[in-house]
Amino acid sequence: MPLVRGSKGPASDGASAPHRAALDSADAESRWTAARALSGQVDAVPALAAALGREPVLRVREAIMTALMRIGDAASVEAILPYLRSQDAAVRGDAIQVLQALPDAIAPFMAPLLSDSDSDVRLLATELARNMKGSEATFLLCGLIEREQHPNVCAAAIDVLTEVGTPQAIPVLERCAERFAATPFLPFAISVAIARISGAEG
Amino acid sequence: MPDIAMPSRPRVLVVDDSSLVRLYCQSTLEKAGFEVEQAINGIEAMEKVLSEPFDLLIVDVNMPRMDGFTFLRSLRSGAGHAATIPALMISAESDMQDAADARAAGANFYLVKPVAQADLVRHACVLAGARL
Amino acid sequence: MDDPKGGAPRAVPITPEEVQRFCEFLYRRTGMSFAEGKRYFIDRRLEERIAATGSSSFQGYFSLLRADADNEIEHLINSFTVNETYFYREDHQLRCMTASLLGAVVSRKTAGGTVRIWSVPCSTGEEPYSIALWLMENWPEVDSYNIEIVGSDIDTRALKAAAEGIYGDRALMRLSPGLIARYFSKLADGNHQIDQGLRNSIEFTRVNLIDPQDMAQYRDFDLVFCRNVLIYFDDASRRQAAENLYNCLRPGGYICLGHSESMSRISPLFRVARFPDAIVYQRPEADHA
Repeated sequence: MPLVRGSKGPASDGASAPHRAALDSADAESRWTAARALSGQVDAVPALAAALGREPVLRVREAIMTALMRIGDAASVEAILPYLRSQDAAVRGDAIQVLQALPDAIAPFMAPLLSDSDSDVRLLATELARNMKGSEATFLLCGLIEREQHPNVCAAAIDVLTEVGTPQAIPVLERCAERFAATPFLPFAISVAIARISGAEG
Repeated sequence: MPDIAMPSRPRVLVVDDSSLVRLYCQSTLEKAGFEVEQAINGIEAMEKVLSEPFDLLIVDVNMPRMDGFTFLRSLRSGAGHAATIPALMISAESDMQDAADARAAGANFYLVKPVAQADLVRHACVLAGARL
Repeated sequence: MDDPKGGAPRAVPITPEEVQRFCEFLYRRTGMSFAEGKRYFIDRRLEERIAATGSSSFQGYFSLLRADADNEIEHLINSFTVNETYFYREDHQLRCMTASLLGAVVSRKTAGGTVRIWSVPCSTGEEPYSIALWLMENWPEVDSYNIEIVGSDIDTRALKAAAEGIYGDRALMRLSPGLIARYFSKLADGNHQIDQGLRNSIEFTRVNLIDPQDMAQYRDFDLVFCRNVLIYFDDASRRQAAENLYNCLRPGGYICLGHSESMSRISPLFRVARFPDAIVYQRPEADHA
């Protein structure tokens, strides 16, 4: 069965106003319908972002995130980024899934995310490099690894490099292995990553 | 004091979204005599637990789609054999609160990453043998 | 792909580490995994795809695959799966339907109420017709309720063939001779056509799973069979399709995916429901946090 890629919503013509208002409706079904109707509508980002912050029902939150994903511009990314810091793992995971689908839109935000003062944010941000081109992801993650003190953040970056890394990563990984030689897991992880990147016989 | 007898080739399910962590656990535990299956998150883990027998679960806290706490709570609240499988929770957090949360969710033990191979094997053996 | 020097293209050698990289990607992306003994099978398929895409190395192919250039994910999955459709395929889900799911579904209905079942994608009709046949042969309450079966696909040629209901021997291979005799007529060319009554009982429609407007017209289904299509979609499209499908289900309704598919990679909206014959997914009865 041939696939048809989804299309963005119709260009905004002011008809999104009633839907934006309905994001505030008392009834979850109405809020859900409104979120779906605003999918791809560039002018709806502020309303969607605000609604996301107060929406109690899961499926409506999901629909709002999907609507933002379909818009996929810098403003949408900015609306979703705060949820990387959520205490709720499901919310964080959802934010990651949506942002991962927007490699071009997230690219300008990667450097600040990978140097965030919160190690959990740095850790999650490594996942966002997974859908980028190998050279770009390698550049970003190697930059992180060279200055990263937290072993679990390094581990997350190494996991992504195992899939997407280019040979430029190898010297960085070797230095990382030396820094963390006395810790469990990281030397193992790095040896696997280097083997996969260089395609060497195991 | 009853003997703790380990099943002859205990089956362990490793649940972690990182392929390297799963590989590390697999290679460590296979050398120690376990049969190892993998799952990438809590939903896939639930599907596997409901379809196949396991003697031990090793569950990461921070996974997308369904985190480790949610998975364990969901498992423990269900009926049947699967609800009582011993579970070792592993986490990147070293916060004491997480250990308390893990116990409350139904984990039997809690380890902080990175986990040394010897610790993994020792705790896995104890927990897999603990279910009589 | 032509080798400019002529002759057969030289196979690109693939190392075990490269196969590992590929397998981990495929597992992460689709849930498909392969036992140790399948290494040869994977190597062959990879070589075919590398050649078919004109890639000069595994790494070149892998970059292409990760970017899903020219729908390579779809081609790759097709090469790894047996694609033929036939009657009573994955019949454990049909068994689950009559043994478990319908009981729960009708417990919320009055006698004579409507049970709505959707097969999407329905391809050339084997699945919706199988559902109808299975119900007639295996569900004691089949006459107690008004059963509506809808079969939908994006491919209008497949839908046309489904409406005609003509099948060769391979499609019928899982059906007993008695069943074939009861519900099919043999045609002059040796093919079989499913009876008019059954052809009339399925509503065939065209739909795009990813299009919310399209999908919004489909509501109140008690059961949805959505097998072996989500696996081909990229993450964004899968998420959209799952959300669309959720809306098509009645609260408490069930959805069955294909053999190696799982909502675990797609959406948190559905509850995992385990039955003796199958694991399926359920739209929760009520909205929740």
